[in-house]
Amino acid sequence: MILAVLFTNTEGNILVERFHGVPSEERLHWRSFLVKLGAENLKGTKNEELLVASHKSVFVVYTMLGDVCIYVIGKDEYDELALAEVIFVITSSVKDVCGKPPSERLFLDHYGKICLCLDEIIWKGMLENTDKDRIRRLIRLKAPADI
Amino acid sequence: MSITSSLANFLRPCSDFRISCGDPVAVRHAMAIITDIATRDPNSVAMALGKHIEHGGALHDILRLHDVLARLCLARLCYVLCRARALDERPGIKFQFTSLLYQLLLDPSDRVCFEAMFCILGKFDNTERTEERAAGWIRLTREVLKLPEAPSVTLKDASVKLNREKRASKAKHPQPLMKLVIRRLESSFRSFSRPVLHAAARVVQEMGKSRAAAYALGVQVDEAMQLHSSENDDPPDSQLMGSSKSAESHKTLFPSTGPGGIDTIASLLASLLEVVRTTVACECVYVRAMVIKALIWMQNPHESFEELGSIIASELSDPAWPSTQLNDILLTLHARFKATPDMAVTLLEIARIFATKVPGKIDADVLQLLWKTCLAGAGPEGKHTALEAVTIVLDLPPPQPGSRLGLVSVDRVSASDPKSALALQRLVQAAVWFLGENANYAASEYAWESATPPATALMMLDADKMVAAASSRNPTLAGALTRLQRCAFSGSWEVRIVAAQALMTIAIRSGEPYRLQIYEFLHALSLGGVQSQFSQSHFSNGEDQGASGTGIGSLINSMLKVLDEMYRAQDDLIRDMRNHDNNNQEWTDEELKKLYENHEKLLDLASLFCFVPRAKYLPLGPTSAKLIDIYRNRHNIGASTGLNDPAVATGISDLVYESKAAHMEPETIDPELAMAWAAGLDDDLLGTNAPALKKVNEFLAGAGIEAPDIEEEDESLMSRPSVVYDDLWAKSFLETDEPEEDDGRSSGTSSPESTGSVETSISSHFGGLGYPSLFSSRPSGYGVSQNWENKSGNDATRFSNASSTFEAADYPVREETPPPPSYASAVLGRFDTFENPLAGSGAQSFGSQEEDRSSQNPQSGKALYDFTAGGDDELSLTAGEEVEIDDEVDGWYYVKKKRPGRDGRMAGLVPVLYISSSS
Repeated sequence: MILAVLFTNTEGNILVERFHGVPSEERLHWRSFLVKLGAENLKGTKNEELLVASHKSVFVVYTMLGDVCIYVIGKDEYDELALAEVIFVITSSVKDVCGKPPSERLFLDHYGKICLCLDEIIWKGMLENTDKDRIRRLIRLKAPADI
Repeated sequence: MSITSSLANFLRPCSDFRISCGDPVAVRHAMAIITDIATRDPNSVAMALGKHIEHGGALHDILRLHDVLARLCLARLCYVLCRARALDERPGIKFQFTSLLYQLLLDPSDRVCFEAMFCILGKFDNTERTEERAAGWIRLTREVLKLPEAPSVTLKDASVKLNREKRASKAKHPQPLMKLVIRRLESSFRSFSRPVLHAAARVVQEMGKSRAAAYALGVQVDEAMQLHSSENDDPPDSQLMGSSKSAESHKTLFPSTGPGGIDTIASLLASLLEVVRTTVACECVYVRAMVIKALIWMQNPHESFEELGSIIASELSDPAWPSTQLNDILLTLHARFKATPDMAVTLLEIARIFATKVPGKIDADVLQLLWKTCLAGAGPEGKHTALEAVTIVLDLPPPQPGSRLGLVSVDRVSASDPKSALALQRLVQAAVWFLGENANYAASEYAWESATPPATALMMLDADKMVAAASSRNPTLAGALTRLQRCAFSGSWEVRIVAAQALMTIAIRSGEPYRLQIYEFLHALSLGGVQSQFSQSHFSNGEDQGASGTGIGSLINSMLKVLDEMYRAQDDLIRDMRNHDNNNQEWTDEELKKLYENHEKLLDLASLFCFVPRAKYLPLGPTSAKLIDIYRNRHNIGASTGLNDPAVATGISDLVYESKAAHMEPETIDPELAMAWAAGLDDDLLGTNAPALKKVNEFLAGAGIEAPDIEEEDESLMSRPSVVYDDLWAKSFLETDEPEEDDGRSSGTSSPESTGSVETSISSHFGGLGYPSLFSSRPSGYGVSQNWENKSGNDATRFSNASSTFEAADYPVREETPPPPSYASAVLGRFDTFENPLAGSGAQSFGSQEEDRSSQNPQSGKALYDFTAGGDDELSLTAGEEVEIDDEVDGWYYVKKKRPGRDGRMAGLVPVLYISSSS
């Protein structure tokens, strides 16, 4: 189960979040935990360098893409490597949508498309589409016959 | 069974279709479904997949599919089918799936390869089965791979081609599975990606677990054995059955030639571990933690642990380690111990490094759990070592404020800031308590099994002679006593109290001359002035030492009183017996009755201080046994009736709430002290929870009564908190003006928060079972602790454990949570409101206007918004729900629903603003 996907800017303000199967009262804790984790570790990392945190069977993989931090939390079958896979798909489609590693401004400009991508990539806490081209086709918002 | 098989039949056409169709997502989901069915009905799935498993079949196509998760599912499916007992009579099919699984080891994706390794090691889902893990280790070490020739299919992409080439080259020379796996892991450890490092360390950890499981089952895998490329026909499971025999034959067949260019399991493992150790240099603490855990699991009981010890010691000097990770490693030590009890000494040594290096970061409860398990499992000769490891914590010098020198040796304590100094003190308290509770067990010295008659002890009243006799007879107990005595006058006030209590526990439980020795000591302590006599280098921490010099005179007096009474009764008994003997007189029933009553009374008194087995314990000395037996037989009092005694059955703390407590209380508690505590409780309103106060409460409530020799019963005794908090709360709520209320509170020195001591706080750290919120900071109390042991092993609930320990990482945010701030403060606040409604309500913002009517007659209301309960006493609501408002306190309504909600609760607290009251 992919428990959460979170995008923040470098100050730790949340840009996009998707939770799956996390009770509402816990989300606040996850948010602050992730932001704290990022603030402590993401300084000076390279673009798309993957960082990892874990506790028992809950794994967190996070990275920095342009000015945007991306966090993915998973458990059980979504271990650190599977999450690395997920985050790779996410970063590649974000880059695809924005054309380059996004600044915060660029990210917000393409906010809608990024959300659509995210919904194609993760569906109900499961990794769904991984192919970049396929995702691009799916978010064109054309009638289904065209796909 | 029929349902699943028909489901399999139903799914067969569609999964056939999907497996052969090109959509990777569809294939992935189809594989997931098939795997799920296969766990339930392996036979029909294997039959259904019969033609796909052959060379060039659909399942082999998945190997080339560009979708990691699909191949992952394939690995799991293969594992499920090749270990299925239902397929035992079809070795051909099993073999095909097994070889497919081994092919997945060569997968270019680390994820798939590692999953295949997990499967081979016997870690499939979260259930841990020792046999399966052991079989996994045997499979790993014995199996030789002969991969089939690559099927001639056109290659699609480069990675697959590479893979294929590799496989083709491997296929020529049969390879030991072990070698293949270890080479792959080693190359993964050279990766720069942190997730890969983390995952590889995890695989090594699982490997260690499987190895430990094999070791625990007594399966001898000769690790010096040369890995040979000859065919090995036995499937691993059948080897496990005749494990010892086959191991023998292997040993004789392949005498260990040792490392010398030839690969042995030992040399392969050594080179792997070397690579693992270098990974400790990784920047990320999570990776390092996983590596340390892997090393702990790979540690064998016979190997020296110096290397591991030095790695851990140097790691702990790094201030970047979060305390959750450290506690997690301690729990790993605990799990490692459970897997291999022989390692108790090694593990305690490692735990000692933690206690000395980072006392501020580790949880005393976790450490105590480790101590306790090790002590119980260490066996007779290990007990002394185990206890020594605990006492080392006590030998730590108190942290010197302001000294921030570099930490050189392992034994130096690093507690430079006040927070860690406080934590160190808590650790010392825990150690002292532990010592008191378990010294008798470790030393195997019990009053009820003591050989020395009391009279001999009375003859050795000379203190020096007594100490000499004591230490020669039982060095373990004597050592523990010395340390406790030192703590009783040189620690801080909190430590002294616990030390006095610990000494009393040992005094009651052990026979002479120890009891007398402690009696002497306590006596001297209560008179004061003992410090100068006992210690020249007394560390003063600036506290007022009090009139007695220790500040615990009032506590010691009550202990002395009990001991006095015991000795007096013993003297009386001896005198009476002598009289009877001299006069050749039989004991009359009247006299026996008096004796028996005296015996029972002393038992009750002793039980107030610590647990003693009532059936066996003889406060009047061993000589009284015969007389008491006579009386019991004559009056048909079974010795076992003692078990029905509340003090034994429910723990001493419950006694506090019974009638006996009423007269015992003034004895144990100095009224002035009680006032001070009451004041302290009020301070709690500010949300602080002074550990000192907690400790005192714990101590006075007699928490942690425990009988070391009956582990099982003891667990259930300990884990029972003295008072069901909800009951107390509900009672106080409904009958607001009950006069006992005040009583309940001041005797609430045994505040339920603290009485659960170890167990409760552990469970609050690791999440309550079935407790909806993973992040709740409340101790969910009752019953949880029993489950905790099981739960820690049960990985199905691992998530809840995990995230609530995240919570322990001290969020700054926790204060902002919508439900009321802290349990203690909220509840105490409510108490206050009841006691003086006029004063209390004035201060409250919403409460005041509605107070008058709401307290009189119940009014009805309607939920305005959804509300999710944040704690046990709160009630979840959905918007629009009709409720009956019972009462209103501090901005919270106590409401009743018309029918129970989804959580089955009818009544509870909700915030005032969530309810529109329609009066």
